[in-house]
Amino acid sequence: MRRAGRVALYLALALAALTFIYPFLWMASSTLKPPGEVGTLALIPDHATFQNYRIMWGRAPFGRALLNSVFVATSVTVAVLILGSITAYAMARLTFPGRHALNLATTAVLLVPGQLTLIPLYTLVVQLGWIDSYSALIIPYLFNATAILMLRQFFLQIPQSLVDSARMDGMSELRILFSIFWPLARPPLAIVAIFTFMGSWNEVLWPLLVVRDQRIMTLPQLLTVFALGGGAGTLGVSLAAAMVLVVPVVIAYMFLQRFFIESMAGAGVKG
Amino acid sequence: MPSVTFDHVTKRFNDVTIVEDFNLQVADGELLVLVGGSGSGKSTILRLVAGLEAVTSGTIRLGDTDITERAPRDRDVAMVFQDYALYPHLSVRENLSLGLRIRRVPKEEVSRRVAWAVDMLGLTELLDRKPKQLSGGQRQRVAMGRAMVREPSAFLFDEPLSNLDAGLRAQMRMEIGALQRRLHTTTIYVTHDQVEAMTLGDRIVVLSSGRVQQIGKPIDLYRAPANRFVAGFIGSPPMNFIEGALEHADEMTWFVSDGMRIALAGVSAAGLTRREVTLGIRPDDLRMTFPSSGTAVEDGSIRGRVELVERLGGSSHMHVHAGSLHILAVVTALELPAVDDVIDLLILPQRVHVFAPDGQAIAIQG
Repeated sequence: MRRAGRVALYLALALAALTFIYPFLWMASSTLKPPGEVGTLALIPDHATFQNYRIMWGRAPFGRALLNSVFVATSVTVAVLILGSITAYAMARLTFPGRHALNLATTAVLLVPGQLTLIPLYTLVVQLGWIDSYSALIIPYLFNATAILMLRQFFLQIPQSLVDSARMDGMSELRILFSIFWPLARPPLAIVAIFTFMGSWNEVLWPLLVVRDQRIMTLPQLLTVFALGGGAGTLGVSLAAAMVLVVPVVIAYMFLQRFFIESMAGAGVKG
Repeated sequence: MPSVTFDHVTKRFNDVTIVEDFNLQVADGELLVLVGGSGSGKSTILRLVAGLEAVTSGTIRLGDTDITERAPRDRDVAMVFQDYALYPHLSVRENLSLGLRIRRVPKEEVSRRVAWAVDMLGLTELLDRKPKQLSGGQRQRVAMGRAMVREPSAFLFDEPLSNLDAGLRAQMRMEIGALQRRLHTTTIYVTHDQVEAMTLGDRIVVLSSGRVQQIGKPIDLYRAPANRFVAGFIGSPPMNFIEGALEHADEMTWFVSDGMRIALAGVSAAGLTRREVTLGIRPDDLRMTFPSSGTAVEDGSIRGRVELVERLGGSSHMHVHAGSLHILAVVTALELPAVDDVIDLLILPQRVHVFAPDGQAIAIQG
């Protein structure tokens, strides 16, 4: 009986998993189908072809857009991790005038909806002459209040005696941050990295505002312009473009998921 | 090894005074224990020496060098923390050597010192383990090793044994004492445990609310506490206190309280009328007798009813109720009274302590 119960459980779980994974697999396989087959629900194409990718690549500079996206998202992520943890360390571990005010201000930033700052930020970027440049895509995202607060919260839990001990061992504050706090904070750093990378990667609205030059466009932006502008032509080509968009994020996630799950689990225990 | 000198050291946080006008010289090679309850300022004093807190006023010297304004890394002192503060992601070897590598000590010298420390502390087998894989006692040894390899001018211990269980604590206490005698490094040791203070210290400083209550050798603090606070803090189980008054009668000075009186030989009775005082008597300085029925209680004894007897094996703690008094006596007698029995406790008059209402001890000659 127990065995039968176990089998039923696994069947149910497999079915649930299938409902999540099927649309993705269908999309992946449809990119390999010729135009006539795309409408079917089958997962294995009868006549597999890379035609959709070839058409897509030929019609717009997707290769360049992919590199732009990787460059922008990576730059933003690295900056948020480094600048964010330096700020968080100062807020958590150093005493200086205005520390409390800085805490409040950082929290207040979270309460302001992004839509509200969009126009002022756009005006600022125009004034600075950053339209159609990587600066417009990267610099406004260098500091991230959520990342700072999350890292600060984690840093506060690291015992003060470790900081004291490192100071007596002769470490500078930056060295304490990068050689003591970073190794201990890998799970929250991974979470911040994943969220920042995905957030930057999926951003469409801001690039649409500040970039009109196809050579600077990020992948989702180019894709949006491409799909909405009717450039794709067929569903297969649209899906192929979507696939190019998704794969790097999936790879990044697989790379970091160990920390991701660890950190989520840890968050539950520590409350 | 240089001495550590505190010269009018005061520490305030905002308006709260943590340490008030602290003056002390810790002699070369001495093991000095700072003892006190929580909030007494003992850990703060240690952190001031380490440079982890800045003094509000006063100076701290290491030998002839004024270190008051120096950064922690430039002070040539090493600290062992209560929670050991080992770097969790580094092996024992890396924990021991990191401080030396940061100071750019040559590689061979680092290896030599690490080998010396692990050999002395019995850690050789554990060099490649992470702190998580060590027991409490082993972590404690690594923390001491990390301080030792620095070969500092002074060791600072901040309640190093309070996270260990009782058996291990006793063992590590002996090891720390033996190690300090062997290295002959000037040491300041902070604890709230008076047993550690008594057994380890060359001298003890008793602190309360940031003020020094008494400085002296352990046995002097035990025999002649300067005030009521020290009397209650040093010694286990703690001293009994009996409120009463000094009176002059029959050419003698008497301590009189509810249902008892005792002649005090050494207290000057000249011009004394009546003075409120507190009598202190250690639980070990009471002798138990069984009164014959119908007799009155003699001078120098307290008659009471037994409330509880705790048998420890060699000795027993006897809790006795006498009027409004609650008295604890340590007795070694084999024949113990039952609960609710009436007994007499004879006070050894040469062992009593007398404290004025302000808490200061009044000298008596036993």
